[in-house]
Parts: sequence; structure tokens; C-alpha cells
Amino acid sequence: MKIKLKEGFGNSALFFHKQSALLNSHTQYTEMVRLQPDPFLNELTNMFERTTEKGSVWVTLKHSSDKSKVKINKMKTAGEKIEYKCLVRATDGKKTISTMVGQKDHSRFQSSYATILKTRMTALKKRERKDRRKTADSDKKQEPKKPSSAAKPSN
Amino acid sequence: MVYIASWDDFLEKSVQLFRSDPEKTRYSMKYRHCDGKLVLKVTDDKECIKFKTDQAQDAKKMEKFNNIFFTLMARGPEADISEVGGKEQAEAQPVKKGRGRKQ
Repeated sequence: MKIKLKEGFGNSALFFHKQSALLNSHTQYTEMVRLQPDPFLNELTNMFERTTEKGSVWVTLKHSSDKSKVKINKMKTAGEKIEYKCLVRATDGKKTISTMVGQKDHSRFQSSYATILKTRMTALKKRERKDRRKTADSDKKQEPKKPSSAAKPSN
Repeated sequence: MVYIASWDDFLEKSVQLFRSDPEKTRYSMKYRHCDGKLVLKVTDDKECIKFKTDQAQDAKKMEKFNNIFFTLMARGPEADISEVGGKEQAEAQPVKKGRGRKQ
């Protein structure tokens, strides 16, 4: 970061600027990128792909009107109806994306979102107990059969 | 952070939380593929409830949960979620019984 210094300010100003520059780089949050629902879903898929080996994906849902509190109060006093949508945010810790889903597209978004999750969340454990019992039973059934099927033909 | 063991409890409390303060309540999900873990969090910045799991069957339950919350958040806290298969029926109006003739 280039810092223009006026002559005569001395070291204190430089120090201050450097400190704030350091702070900015450490506490720099990536911008929240607001997308339309469909690009959002594409980006979300990419996020899941990127975090397969390492990292997490956070998805947050919130009821929101996308307007500031001041405006909401004004609208309330004016008797206007405030349109609410569902705010969906997703992040992988570094990049953040968001979108607003209205009433009309919420069911379509919901099913696409569910499909993405189903496809991506494959690392969760599947219920093994019942399967083990089943395979154990089937093994027991197969064992007596095996020696009979493998009976040596005697000449 | 309160981790709730029972899925049904978690679901009920989440819907309650949302309905009591729709402005502030948010639902967060964290998925870690490398660890195979899923954590759900619902909070209104006063109370917080969480549910964690590593079971694939819970992913299906979470899907229904997502449907419920999408409906609630997109349409409003008064939205009817019984059609989504939700379990919140405390406010459901009593079904009118009988189609008999009124005399």
C-alpha cells in the first residue's frame, strides 16, 4: 500500500498508517457477493467441490427483507407492506456468497439446493448395524451351502 | 451452545424459536466432508440450539428441516408447514368434522 506522506509529519504518521494497513490485512473480510439464485447454486456446488479434502462449508438461512431498519420503520408507519424473502448465505471460510429467495422461486430453489446437498454430502456414515446383521445372517446361510457346492467330485 | 440429542426436539424448538422472533432467528449449517460431520445451529442471538451428526440418515431429516425453514422464511412465520410434512401443528386449526347436513 503506497502511503503519501507530507513532509514534516515525521515517523509517527508513518507508524500510524502502517499499523492501520496491518490491521486491514489481518482483519480483512472478503466481500459478501450477492448473486441471483441460480448462479448462487452453481457457486455453492463449486464450494462443496473445493472443500472435499479440507475445509468446511457453512450455509445460513435467514428471514430478511433486505432493507435497512430505518426504511422498515418508515414503511411500517406509512402502512406499506414489507416484502420478506429468505436470505441464504454460503461460505467456505474465505469466500462468501449470498442470495435472496422470494416466495415464488423458493420451492424451485429448495429442490435444487436439496439435490446439491444429496449429491455432495456423501461422507456421512451410513447405518452399519442393521447391514452387519443382515450380512452376518446371509453369511451363515451361505456357509453351509458352500461346502456342498464345493463338494469334490469323487471318482 | 446447547447440543440437542433428539432430532424431533431440535426441530420443534427451532420452529418455536423462529416463530417467536422471525426477525432475528437464523439457521446455520456446517458441513465438513473431510471429517464427515454435519452441524446444524438455530439461534435468535439470545438462545442457541445445535444438532450434530455424522449419520447419513440425518441428512435426509435435515432435508425436510431445510424445506420447512425455506417455507417459513420465504413465506413468513405464519406459513403453513404441515404440507411440507412438518411437525409443528400446535397452531393448526381444528379440522371440521363431518359433512353431515346442518339442521
